[in-house]
Amino acid sequence: MAREILRVDMSDLSVKREPLPAAWGRYGGRALTDAIVFAEVPPDADPLGPDNVLVFAPGILGGTSAPNGGRISVGAKSPLTGGIKESNSGGQAGHALARNGIAALVVTGVPADADARYCLVIENDGSASLSRVDEWAGLGNYELADKIAETRPEGDRYATIQTGPAGEAGAKASGIAFSDPKGYPNRFAGRGGLGAVMGAKGLKAIVVSDKGHGFLEHADKDAFQAALKRFASALKEHAVTGQALPAYGTNVLTNILSEAGGLPTRNFSEGSFEKADDIGGERQAETIKARGGHSHHGCHTGCTIQCSRYWVDKDGHYKTKGPEYETAWSFGADCGIGDLDEIAELDRACGDLGLDTIEMGATMAVYMESGKIAFGDADGALKALMSGANGGEPGRVLWDGAAATGAAFGVARVPVVKNQALPAYDPRPVMGIGVTYATSTQGADHTAGYTITANILNVGGSVDPLKPDGQAELSKNLQIATAMLDSLGFCIFVAFAVLDIPEAFAALHELAEAHTGETWDPDALMQLGRETLTFERVFNEKAGFTAADDRLPEFFYTEKLPPHDAVFEVSDADLDSVFDFVPETAKQMGLA
Amino acid sequence: MRVDLALFAHLSGFQPDGRGGRSSRPLELEEGATVGDVASLLGLPDEPRIVLLNGRHAEDSTALSEGDRLAIFPPVAGG
Repeated sequence: MAREILRVDMSDLSVKREPLPAAWGRYGGRALTDAIVFAEVPPDADPLGPDNVLVFAPGILGGTSAPNGGRISVGAKSPLTGGIKESNSGGQAGHALARNGIAALVVTGVPADADARYCLVIENDGSASLSRVDEWAGLGNYELADKIAETRPEGDRYATIQTGPAGEAGAKASGIAFSDPKGYPNRFAGRGGLGAVMGAKGLKAIVVSDKGHGFLEHADKDAFQAALKRFASALKEHAVTGQALPAYGTNVLTNILSEAGGLPTRNFSEGSFEKADDIGGERQAETIKARGGHSHHGCHTGCTIQCSRYWVDKDGHYKTKGPEYETAWSFGADCGIGDLDEIAELDRACGDLGLDTIEMGATMAVYMESGKIAFGDADGALKALMSGANGGEPGRVLWDGAAATGAAFGVARVPVVKNQALPAYDPRPVMGIGVTYATSTQGADHTAGYTITANILNVGGSVDPLKPDGQAELSKNLQIATAMLDSLGFCIFVAFAVLDIPEAFAALHELAEAHTGETWDPDALMQLGRETLTFERVFNEKAGFTAADDRLPEFFYTEKLPPHDAVFEVSDADLDSVFDFVPETAKQMGLA
Repeated sequence: MRVDLALFAHLSGFQPDGRGGRSSRPLELEEGATVGDVASLLGLPDEPRIVLLNGRHAEDSTALSEGDRLAIFPPVAGG
């Protein structure tokens, strides 16, 4: 099936399909969203204005049966960081777009009527239309999903892409929700405020039907199946992807990070949480089992790792997904809250409002440090979070994230890079991740270069997390590899197997080659990663970012974190070496 | 000597008292015992492990001291 661009202009409400330009023919996912944002968004554009574009792109392997290959990239200029953004999600939309022949959905412009709300519907014959849905204004994501369901014919199979009330309000911590295999709008392109970009475009929801579509056909079916088999075996064989993640989910990390002294606690003032086990993955798995919840499933069809799960309340009713490790940390340890039901309530609220749980938990911890509410006060946190509806305070300030909240309430210890809150690993006792936080084009983002592998988990080698040596090289290589995986459409958790099992690494290019019929090899894959990062880096430079933006906040260099009394020690020279490949790659790409 | 032992994920069933759980409990060892000796004593499965001794990574050959906190995990990851 030919890969095309579906272009939707909210200024004149036009919808058209066009061929994917040849120059972007080898791009998918993050590489493609980056290429389009780079080409079409002026670096000084107002992120919520008519010149920003919002791009949704499945990966190169989207729509195929490649295990864990159905992720989706969402790109735009970020209202939170002011730089380029690629926010990555699970859910069903990646495969659904790809199976309709859509390599990228590009939304441009803003509607003349700022109060108008639209729903874009893509039917399973690839046709697309906009309809006015003003009556959906202000709906939470769960009710919105129900309203969408009422509009669909009996027996349809479709994916949804949604923005909640926070996105409609222009909140900088808002994310975009994607429906999971059961239709719950609980998977998120959470980071960087992209819900607000969707909201500014008046686009309340997107529906993509892929009823009747099977897997996409391959250039070489036999080679694809052979590589797929090797890849699936490796994912099954590796202890992390085959056993630990399905059994305990991502939250299995809480206890280990607390033991390692790297679990940011009470707004990054301590490295271990005394109630870590009460909010960790083992307790979570036991509780879900005892309550009859769904203990492991994929966030999208075709996932074989199955690290997702549903949290259910004491009566066994669905509350939210996960909570994932990042959320158990952000509203848990970082806010001093030691109860999974309380965390799940905050997670549900963020999911329904359409807010990034990492940003909001970190924000709440900053708010708690201001003394307005106490650490551990889950009821106060929920009340503050919900108060943002209709512009209420303090919620509306909190919805703009940790940096805005720190400024508004006079808090000095604000854990952000490029205005985006740090995730669930303190960079002082885990210095590799500090390099990623500091240098990533995305703002502080653990997934951009997940050094926890070698720093903590002994995956892909080991690098002492408490020393600065080798961290920049580790982060650089992982950032390149991650950009590549994001462009293929893979879940980055395949990296645990790819880093340790040579056959799994080889299968990546074998799958890409067998599917597309183009030549792919390890070098070409790494070049794809470098080109992806180069688009991002050069865009950010044009948007005004300098080396000074590639640093952690001062307190990480000066305040010793117990229990190791560690400070961040990676040199500026090392940080500045991470993107040393960009000038040459930019020249090769003709961007220089 | 006595160390404080915590076992996580599916290893928690190897606590000598048979009660499972992740809470730490004391373990009596001979002087000079190593991480590997503890693994043998408990009969931990022969697989890669993540061992944190007082919050720092340790090898099987690492010797233990009175009052150490020893935390052992099977291969895990997340994000």
